Amino acid sequence: MAGEAIWLVNTAVMAAPLVLAAMGGLLSERSGVMNIALEGKMLMAACTLALIGASTGNAVLALFSAIGVATLMSLGHYLLTQTYKIDHVVSGMALNALALGGAKFLSDKFGDPTKSVAFLPIEVYIGSALILPVILGLWLAKTRAGLRLLAVGNSPEKCRQIGLNPLVVRFGALIGTGLCCGLSGAMIVTNAGQFGEYVTAGKGFIALAALILGGWRPIPTLVAAIGFGLIQAVQLQLQGVKIGAAEIPSEVWNGLPYLATLVALIVLGSKSRAPAGMGQH
Amino acid sequence: MSGRLIALAFGIFVLIAAALVSTQVSPVTAGKLLFEGSLGSPERISQTLVLVTPLLIAGIAVFVALQAGLFNIGAEGQLLLGAMCGVVVAQKVPGFFGWVLGAIVGMAAGAAWAYPAVWIKVWRGGHEVISTIMLNNIALLLCGALVRGPLKGTQSESATTDPLPAGSMVPNLLQSGDLRINLALVVGLVLLFGVARFLLRSVGGFELRATGANPTAAAFAGVETKRVMVRAMLVSGALAGLAGAFQALAYEGRFYPDFSPGYGFDALGVALLAGSSPYGLLPAALVFGILSSGSALLTIEGVPKGIVGILLGLLIAFFAAVRYREVRSGG
Repeated sequence: MAGEAIWLVNTAVMAAPLVLAAMGGLLSERSGVMNIALEGKMLMAACTLALIGASTGNAVLALFSAIGVATLMSLGHYLLTQTYKIDHVVSGMALNALALGGAKFLSDKFGDPTKSVAFLPIEVYIGSALILPVILGLWLAKTRAGLRLLAVGNSPEKCRQIGLNPLVVRFGALIGTGLCCGLSGAMIVTNAGQFGEYVTAGKGFIALAALILGGWRPIPTLVAAIGFGLIQAVQLQLQGVKIGAAEIPSEVWNGLPYLATLVALIVLGSKSRAPAGMGQH
Repeated sequence: MSGRLIALAFGIFVLIAAALVSTQVSPVTAGKLLFEGSLGSPERISQTLVLVTPLLIAGIAVFVALQAGLFNIGAEGQLLLGAMCGVVVAQKVPGFFGWVLGAIVGMAAGAAWAYPAVWIKVWRGGHEVISTIMLNNIALLLCGALVRGPLKGTQSESATTDPLPAGSMVPNLLQSGDLRINLALVVGLVLLFGVARFLLRSVGGFELRATGANPTAAAFAGVETKRVMVRAMLVSGALAGLAGAFQALAYEGRFYPDFSPGYGFDALGVALLAGSSPYGLLPAALVFGILSSGSALLTIEGVPKGIVGILLGLLIAFFAAVRYREVRSGG
């Protein structure tokens, strides 16, 4: 394969899960539900896909179960933050802990490393990662439902006054979040070939970083996620390559997305750009 | 308890029961194994206390920030840096001053790692949860790179620092047979009472809690809320750094990349479980410590280790739900 093609493929493979998860985060946070549990949902989806894909051999069924589990987790976030009115950060932490424990539990108990897993081709995921931000951007800007979602994220109180129930909008948004995170987790395990408890490797948090860097808007978030994917592709290519006398530790590349987000927070701040109603009831 | 809480408790019970049924271990047996594995013998009690120490100190750290209205999710990163810096110092300085200086430097490192988050919060309006998540990941990578590189021990194959000489470790206060109580745990208890007195009985503590309860009202009442937040976060970071430094200097005796199994994250659970009183931190740290250390026996009986994560996650969710109702009813 030509050099450029490898770069392109690597970047796409690295960026697609980030894009998908970041779009999930975007739906949730633009509707006013802070979501630090993207990672947990992706991990559970990855685990489910591997388990169902191995036991039934049916790749489509496995994908739907993975999306289903991620959506259930997302509705758990809805239940805790909207019905029980727990702080969104606490609920996210609890769900992440639950997912880490749950995925470990399920894969230890029911996982069978000797069985091969049925996967869908990875192009499916890359394709949806490219289309989704565009659709989402148009949907948010042009449709009644999309504008309602933005309105609820800006001020749930005002929406209530004009007769729009924020809970209904957020319920829908969180179903969308579950769907996106399910796709993302499914793609990660498809690319890895098998499930391990570290398979998501903090990608949910990098997606969150892309979302913030992209100012909670679909297309800039897509660009940020592709940028982070490119950084990971560079790291893959440069593994073991020496520049000058010293080898650049892989940690430097891995840390760049986090550092970039931190710098963006310092330089730009997020007061004016974050959804105004985030965390409000 | 209201109907909703009963429903939540029931749901949680069903989830845990389903997990246990799938492993064919009865809940009673599981409970007994947890108890035996964590408190069954002097040796196991000592092992549990090793886990309780960082959970307690880091729990205090998170609690202080929480009282000021700040979520210090960064405790994990601050703890890691505190541990690494503490070990580096204790290796250079022999004897008693080794661990004392190590602990102090660990606190400084933790506070330094917490500062960017509160700076962004106060001057840029960025949510501290986002910045501390980023700082955590950077700390994890930084510690990993340093221990694989310049800090790697001369005698070891794997990525770890050289072990500390026994003389420069935090001493055990009590050692009878297999039961060991380390000075670090006692310092943690003293800190707990000190912080509790500060929060509940001093002007500074009142200002801190007022800032956390309602920053706008506190500002109108003349509290310099920005300064209070910065101080609370620095104290929180220093305590988290101390938790890491003590864990390294009292028990582990070295530093390596997987040093913390998530003490900093569990500390958030400890702080939430403690409720509104700082004295609740001790039982909360004990619960978390017992659950984590008791799980070893469960694993042997065929219950996967993940059960502890499931239990802790559900516990946090439930107590957060209960606590919210308390807050709303003004209790």
